[in-house]
Amino acid sequence: MNEIFLLFPVLFPIAFGALSYFIPARKRSMRNAFILAVLLLSAVCVWMLAIKSPEEKLMLIQFTKQISFALSLDGAGKIFSCLAATLWPVTAIYAFEYMAHDEKTNTFYAFFTMAFGAVMGVAFASDIVTMYLFYELLTLFTIPLVMYGAEEKNIAAAKKYMLYSFGGAAFAFTAVVFLVSKDAAVFTLGGSLSLGTGEQETALLLFLFAFFGFGVKGAIFPFHGWLPAASVAPTPVTALLHAVAVVKAGVFAVIRLIYYSYGTDVLSGTWAQALAMIFAIITILYGSSKAFKQTHFKRRMAYSTVANLSYIIFAATLMTDAGLAASFVHLVFHSVIKICLFFAVGAVLHHTGKEYIRELDGIGQKMPATFAFFTVAALSLVGIPPLCGFVSKWLIAEGALSHGSPLALIGAAVLMISAFLTAMYALSVCIKAYFPDKEKATDLDGVRDAGVLMKSAMLVCALACVLLGIFSGSFIEIITKAVGI
Amino acid sequence: MNMLIFSLVLLPFAAAFLCRAVGRKNEENCAAVSTVFCALTLALSVICAFFAYGEGVKIPMLGFSFSFGGFHAVYGIVSAFMWTASALLSHQYFKGHHNKGRYNFFLLLTLGATMGVFLSADLLTTFVFFEIMSFTSYVWVVQEQTDEALAAGKTYITIAALGGMVALMGLFLLYSITGTLEIDALYEAVGAADKSAKLYVCAFCLLFGFGAKAGMFPLHIWLPKAHPVAPAPASALLSGVLTKAGVFGILVITGHILREDKIWGYTLLALAAVTMVLGAVLAVFSVNLKRTLACSSLSQIGFILTGVSMITLLGEENALAANGTFLYMINHSLVKLVLFLCAGAIYMSAHTLDLNKLRGFGRGKPFLAVIFLVGACSLAGIPGTCGYISKTLVHESIVEYAHHAGTLITAVEWLFLFSGGLTAAYMTKLFVAIFIEKGNGEGKKMKLSLASKLALAFSAVPIVILGILPHALSEKITETMLPLANGHAFHHAVEYLSWVNLKGVLISLSIGVLVYFGFIRTLLIKKKDGRKTYICPWNDKISIENLVYVPVYKAIVTALGALISFLDKLPEHLIGAGMFALSVICRAADNVTDFFALLLRKSVLRDTKEIQVHHKHRAAYAVGSVLDKLTSSEEHTHAKKFSRVMETVSHTTSRIFGNFSFALLMACLGICTILLLLIFVF
Repeated sequence: MNEIFLLFPVLFPIAFGALSYFIPARKRSMRNAFILAVLLLSAVCVWMLAIKSPEEKLMLIQFTKQISFALSLDGAGKIFSCLAATLWPVTAIYAFEYMAHDEKTNTFYAFFTMAFGAVMGVAFASDIVTMYLFYELLTLFTIPLVMYGAEEKNIAAAKKYMLYSFGGAAFAFTAVVFLVSKDAAVFTLGGSLSLGTGEQETALLLFLFAFFGFGVKGAIFPFHGWLPAASVAPTPVTALLHAVAVVKAGVFAVIRLIYYSYGTDVLSGTWAQALAMIFAIITILYGSSKAFKQTHFKRRMAYSTVANLSYIIFAATLMTDAGLAASFVHLVFHSVIKICLFFAVGAVLHHTGKEYIRELDGIGQKMPATFAFFTVAALSLVGIPPLCGFVSKWLIAEGALSHGSPLALIGAAVLMISAFLTAMYALSVCIKAYFPDKEKATDLDGVRDAGVLMKSAMLVCALACVLLGIFSGSFIEIITKAVGI
Repeated sequence: MNMLIFSLVLLPFAAAFLCRAVGRKNEENCAAVSTVFCALTLALSVICAFFAYGEGVKIPMLGFSFSFGGFHAVYGIVSAFMWTASALLSHQYFKGHHNKGRYNFFLLLTLGATMGVFLSADLLTTFVFFEIMSFTSYVWVVQEQTDEALAAGKTYITIAALGGMVALMGLFLLYSITGTLEIDALYEAVGAADKSAKLYVCAFCLLFGFGAKAGMFPLHIWLPKAHPVAPAPASALLSGVLTKAGVFGILVITGHILREDKIWGYTLLALAAVTMVLGAVLAVFSVNLKRTLACSSLSQIGFILTGVSMITLLGEENALAANGTFLYMINHSLVKLVLFLCAGAIYMSAHTLDLNKLRGFGRGKPFLAVIFLVGACSLAGIPGTCGYISKTLVHESIVEYAHHAGTLITAVEWLFLFSGGLTAAYMTKLFVAIFIEKGNGEGKKMKLSLASKLALAFSAVPIVILGILPHALSEKITETMLPLANGHAFHHAVEYLSWVNLKGVLISLSIGVLVYFGFIRTLLIKKKDGRKTYICPWNDKISIENLVYVPVYKAIVTALGALISFLDKLPEHLIGAGMFALSVICRAADNVTDFFALLLRKSVLRDTKEIQVHHKHRAAYAVGSVLDKLTSSEEHTHAKKFSRVMETVSHTTSRIFGNFSFALLMACLGICTILLLLIFVF
């Protein structure tokens, strides 16, 4: 396909998402159809681009010799864009039912659609400046989503989110400027940064700035605070933005930074790498422990995201080909798993209003489909073979062990501890749901299972958990081939 | 024919969903469906034994590989057999129970997973099905959903999850050392890599995972809790087959990773000996039928692992140990099937498992008595049963190694005989209490359906056949299993009924008699309300779980909590500290300017002396006085007022001039600095 098509999935949702705001609120079904059409059209375009990808890069504006605004599609971009393009319409379908009783949903759907365009921009960006622009745009588009409902807690969460995101981006900007000045802005696998003598330390320091700056969206400790706070947003938002799109955009940016801008040759074996790994390991342990201690259902999942994002970041910081492959595989698998979990959490919230795990005794019988999907995804998250979470965990640990440094070994061990904690916090919910304490009578009378739309959205994700796990061999091959390692 | 092997795994999984679909309409039919499919699996496995023996299959896309030969084949058949027997009984057992559909669904799922474990030809496949097995069998434990069951389930799943993760770590390490996980290729790959500490770490990680499932000390805590609370047909499988899946993993380590390694052998021996004695002692104290059997399983796993350690330690001469261990495994599987099914049959009509309430229940029920007796005899190792053959072989192997290694191993031999004696004692206790003594359980009717009778008879027969045909059958079977643990074949035939071999059993049995009459009958029976009652002085609170694991677990959770709250507050603290530092700096910077201002005020811009207002504003005073005179005011009001106004005016003016001059001065300074700068720079 011609490279001009790259512009389509970026601009089309932004333009038509903004347009959808003006559809009168009472024409709900028409608006929904419109949104779905926009998303599906863009998604199809993304898939077609991924299959027949353009060779050329689409230069939009050339500011100076070094700074330009350009789109192109490489392996990493393909993986991320296809992932988002697949899950976005699914979430939209889920949202149609979830938000059915809300008034004033126009703002929600408008920004929801526009955020899709921004994510595509992040995926397609051919250099770090372009990516940075779309990255900021994504923050802007998602703030209204977090703020949706406009209650005090939403506004507080949105404020926090804004502060963290913009703060992080500001830090990252220093490295962007550095990379531009070194003529290494354009992404190429292996990096294009060549350093003069004596610039090593500056480069590494700026790398850490950018690592933590982009890491803010990837919820790396100690900059993870916004993520659990933002779980006050409606579930489709939490599911998509805080388990898939926004956080994965952060992680994606980190991967871009390590493998495509700086390059592993510059970073591998330095103190900067060690520091990045240490923080990833701490985050894994922290997130899992925190999830283990949480009693709030949705926040437990949010903290689980914090830990799992750092699985990806940890794999990325290994700075080997195996690490890169593992991080991409977990990026995809975790998205599918976590979106399914959040969908189920949302279904429970929507139909019962119960927020805490202690209130869920015996809910498995009342909402059989929802909890069947939840259990599949939870087992997958724990890494029970042959579900997909097992495969990615295997790849990460294998990558860490073949790396061989003491930190990597510690990381692999922490991965196992975290897996155990995951088993405890994820399965305890299933156990409560299916094997209730007979003494404890909870008022679940009249609770219905989720509706068709929600169920089908969950079914797609749960099926993906199983199928991706069973056919993981072929999937990994596709990913490694796409990335080109 | 190769896909036939895979279908052995696939069939139960598919059947499970079929069973679920049937169960949605009518739960009563579930048991029939699952029995049929268990029997089909059994038939299929026998067909495999004829047509696909010794073959392997690799599943493309999924990356699994299976083989059907030797140990894999034998245990595949044993599992299918046991499942069939258990399913046959479950039909009657679950009458009037809830959640039958769920039970049968998970029964079939676990069969598929267990098949997968035993048929797996590489450790990744083993692990995949091992994990599935762990989690599906959880449902068995909590099937009754009582508080006790839920608590046992919690322990079970915790240990299973922990064991699974540690085993996975071991697999990672193994893969990073050898680059392969195929069982048959492991030994060479390990040999090619250098044997280092990493290999031991890996082996002990795997031991942790598989040992947890086998019920090895110190990871046995789930076993005495979970086996009794599960429904009896499930207990039979938990005890008889699922523990063997753990032993299977340990055998792989023994035969293919740490072959003939002394450290491995002695570690295993120590753990096995503790398990063996601990289980037997617990069983002697227990007053609950199923708990006794569960503790007995623990002890028997200890016996089996002792045999496994002997395989390692004896090296080239491990024929006795290897054949004995494999036969012991088969024997224990079958015996536990028989005994737990008997327990199930008893529970169906008596609705209790308490020995004191069951007293005399079995009087006048010869069928049940005979079946139970076969199991009990084989467990205790009475000649004529399979248990005698296997116990003798393992015992002889210990004796053989004791010749090389001396007193330590002789001590183990005595522990072995002692535990054997305890086994005889607690089985006698059970048999006497249920079938001989008179008591309040007497006279309760028992109606066994044909299926249940068939199940009981079906499971007791192989024990006897294997026992009376040691050369013609038992040895032939175990010989095929040898390669898994690197066992060697017999050099010469074993005289099972020779005096040397009988002697061991006699010693064991006499210990049993001593314990039974000297301890159980005297110390464990007390008179209560005029009746003799079995008591259990062993307090359940005194267990390694309550004394060690729970406190450690709590400590870890507390430590994690502390770590979290520290980490949680860390950013705040950092920001706070940063703010504080910033404010200190700002304050200091502020004060620098103030300091200069102060300095100037004290020096150059010092306040001039206060001017006497009254003198200066005489004119105003005069005007005021005149006005006063004119208005004939007594108190010089206007004069005072006027002079006060003038005073204020002059004061303000002086201040303005003072400040203005200060600003001017500053401006001058600034201009000077700029000028200086300009001069120096350009």
